[in-house]
Amino acid sequence: MTYPTERIRNFAIIAHVDHGKSTLADRMLQETKLVEGRMMRAQYLDRMDLERERGITIKAQAVRMPYTAADGSEYLLNLIDTPGHVDFSYEVSRAMNACEGVVLLVDAAQGMEAQTIANLYLAVEAGLEVIPVLNKIDLPAARPEQVALEIASLLGGDPEDILAVSAKTGIGVPAVLERIVERVPAPRGDPDAPTRALVFDSVYDAYRGVITYVRVVDGWLRPGLDVRLMVTGYHNEIDELAVISPEPKPVDALGPGEVGYLTAAIKKVELARVGDTVTEHNRPAAEPLPGYREPTPMVFSGLYPMDSDDFPDLRDALDRLRLNDASFTFEPETSVALGFGFRCGFLGLLHMEIISERLDREFDIPLVATAPNVKYEVHLDETQIRPNEDAVLLVSNPAELPAPNRIARILEPVVDAMILSPSEYVGAVMQLCEARRGDLQKMDYLTEERVELRYRLPLAEIVFDFFDRLKSSTRGYASLDYEPADMADADLVKVDVLLNGEPVDAFSSIVHRDKAYEYGRGMVSRLRELIPRQMFDVPIQAAIGSKIIARETVKARRKDVIAKCYGGDVTRKRKLLEKQKEGKRKMKSVGTVEIPQEAFVAALSVNAD
Amino acid sequence: MTTPDRDPAAAGAAVYVHVPFCRSRCPYCDFNVLTGAGAEPQARYAAAVRAELSRVAAAGPAAVAPSDADAQCGWPVFGSVFVGGGTPTQLPAGDLAALLRHVREVLPLAADAEITVEANPEDVDGAYLATLVDAGLTRLSIGAQSFVAHVLTFLGRGHDSGRALRAVASARDAAVPHVNLDLIYGSPCETDEDWAATLDTAVASGADHLSAYALTVEANTPYGVDVHRGAAAAPDDDVQADRMSAAEERLERAGLARYEISNWARLGAQSRHNLVYWRGGDWLGVGAGAHSHWRGRRWWNTRPTLRYVEQVHHGWPPVAGEEALDDATRRSERLLMGLRLVEGVPRAAVEPVDEAQTARMVDAGLVTDEGGRLALTAAGRPLADDVIRRLLP
Repeated sequence: MTYPTERIRNFAIIAHVDHGKSTLADRMLQETKLVEGRMMRAQYLDRMDLERERGITIKAQAVRMPYTAADGSEYLLNLIDTPGHVDFSYEVSRAMNACEGVVLLVDAAQGMEAQTIANLYLAVEAGLEVIPVLNKIDLPAARPEQVALEIASLLGGDPEDILAVSAKTGIGVPAVLERIVERVPAPRGDPDAPTRALVFDSVYDAYRGVITYVRVVDGWLRPGLDVRLMVTGYHNEIDELAVISPEPKPVDALGPGEVGYLTAAIKKVELARVGDTVTEHNRPAAEPLPGYREPTPMVFSGLYPMDSDDFPDLRDALDRLRLNDASFTFEPETSVALGFGFRCGFLGLLHMEIISERLDREFDIPLVATAPNVKYEVHLDETQIRPNEDAVLLVSNPAELPAPNRIARILEPVVDAMILSPSEYVGAVMQLCEARRGDLQKMDYLTEERVELRYRLPLAEIVFDFFDRLKSSTRGYASLDYEPADMADADLVKVDVLLNGEPVDAFSSIVHRDKAYEYGRGMVSRLRELIPRQMFDVPIQAAIGSKIIARETVKARRKDVIAKCYGGDVTRKRKLLEKQKEGKRKMKSVGTVEIPQEAFVAALSVNAD
Repeated sequence: MTTPDRDPAAAGAAVYVHVPFCRSRCPYCDFNVLTGAGAEPQARYAAAVRAELSRVAAAGPAAVAPSDADAQCGWPVFGSVFVGGGTPTQLPAGDLAALLRHVREVLPLAADAEITVEANPEDVDGAYLATLVDAGLTRLSIGAQSFVAHVLTFLGRGHDSGRALRAVASARDAAVPHVNLDLIYGSPCETDEDWAATLDTAVASGADHLSAYALTVEANTPYGVDVHRGAAAAPDDDVQADRMSAAEERLERAGLARYEISNWARLGAQSRHNLVYWRGGDWLGVGAGAHSHWRGRRWWNTRPTLRYVEQVHHGWPPVAGEEALDDATRRSERLLMGLRLVEGVPRAAVEPVDEAQTARMVDAGLVTDEGGRLALTAAGRPLADDVIRRLLP
């Protein structure tokens, strides 16, 4: 059944990870009688195992809930689920553009978190109606009055007016639904104009091709309609047009304000990108919906199979992941130390973690990942430019940085970071940010206990372990959000690590000159612990260009012999040697130095300071 | 397929008899031992070993190595008998002597066969040894381990250092022709001086053979568990390398020549038995958990003592497992055993080896490759396992 636009309410829930977004969504499904209690399973809307286990939502989904309001009128509520993490802020903003309102869900014990605030700002910028809701009011640690004050100080308005619920028990949820009906504006759109529908998510399905989630703005979508994606130019007839309520249900049409999904034999998500506009192929709209942006990878890492025989499998796995995730990139590269692999680009750290975990979980390929880094803009010295070489190089693999004498300047990406912290840890947070070359922009006390700090930080300084450090120096209370700002000049150098005089490309890193010594020392002493003793002394050096900045030596092994072969048990001795020899075969050789894979993994995964 | 050059006459044939009984288990030891067994089970065990010996001997070599062409000609002459443990001297002298006599009754032994018994210092006196000598004993191997009190305590040994010296003296008085002392170096509590003192005392005792083993952490031992938990220190590899050099230097100076990684002997006192193992010879092992090798077939007996006795009692073969070695494996084993000897191995017996690595090892001064033989240098010996891994194809 099609609803008149004035009876439609499209909304999203903004919440920090663990603040109960999925639980509230579950409760809404029950409250609107869409899901019977006995059919309920936790986090009904999160489809992927990974999401369910991590308790976070990676892919936005939309669910349609017919709802009879207290005044007896029938409404159609469309809940659009948004990803909760900074890495996916663009996807969040698109999902919000499919709504007219948001429920701001805040844990009454934890209070506001940086990511929630960042998403809240996105909602406010998009002109959405914001309905603040306190969750977990049944918890003993809940402090609803204080958190309500925090929210009011950010949003304005009366703290008394803020709804309080326990998504777990369902207390207060009916009031939330009523307020959505009451406050969220009905969508507006022109049913007669050429079709325009916003793609706010697309998910790969092996059988039906890409499932494209859309919010119709103008005109109509119908099965069989020849539609075109305005950015990618792909066009095809709609095979399946459906809504999720809460299981997929085919529909005859979707009109202005409605939310659903379509399939059109789309082979990969790249062709139906988040933010693109679906229009009618034969009667296209003049302009796409505003705001489309290419996803830009910000964080890079080399992924190498532990066993070089797995290289083709890794390529297949990355291809398959990319079908489902257009925002991650990869291209083949070779490392002297690690062999053949791929330089992969990710939106951010969580995105990188998710991809690695999926590779591990779904494809079972043991990997070595190089330390994450960012993309640098390298301006070559004019006198040093080689024929057919660009004056500006983009470097996402530290090993590819040109020699120091060829470089005029290097620019690095910087981000605007927002950190929310209890006021007692402000000192620790500032100390950390300053150690990471941060530039304090602003500091606001949201309440007496909570401070919002804004820093401009080099992205390279936060990709490694910043978040862990932030958490550990604030007992887990601080939260972080960041968004790319621009590129800035920095005094950066490449630190190489040499084993027995030979550079090991996988260990090269681009760091600020002031930190080069510290980085070099750290890497060299860590490697001294990790590299097994060899038959000869192995010098380990850190160098900037030809200048050695740190040195350690792995002393030659002096004893490697089984003392006794007792009782004539030669079999045992032979098997031990065979096993050791097999272990040796699996080592990576750098020149004459043999390094176990585990040493690479350990050296690359431990933090740099 | 050519057979590896195995001149059975050169490598020889031997008999190993395992006696698993010990008064107590030493904290570092993972050998097949049984503590606290009374006289009666010990006697039943000795009887089982004699029964197994009789059966193996009567069945002949065709039963243990059916594919071997020489098997039709019956047993070759055995050049060595070794009764090891455990602690063979836990048995009454009479039982042990009966065992030695029994071997000679059922198998052809050379007239000058080496007959060794392992002994704990506190178990043997003049009368005990006289009984064994009367039964053919030619060599006593004494588990001295150290001559320093606090090292002996660490090793959990029940004797004091004087006891081992008295055992050597008793052996001399009983006219045992050869005496070996087993020593263990590199305990975490041992100092360079302790080790030097132990070596000097061992030399002065008059023993003509010394085995010096680096203390090794074995997983399923009280010491191994302590090391794993961090409750005890593991031996330091560099310290052990130093101790090995110290042994080399002091023993050579005293006229004991190294002939294997852990073994030194006066002229003519090398252990014939151990050379059979290292040169790829054949041996029959009897008793609980004993290993045998005959012409490319390996097999090993049931380890638990009581089950072993049970099996023999029922007339079942007490064999727990076996392995037929292919030519390549035999060559690998020849290399890994033979390279431990100072004399090295004939290339022809171990080829193919990794020639590139061999050349590297020669360049590095760890291996010699002369006169058709591969051998470790003094510098290569402490790294024997690494060198062997590299040389294996």
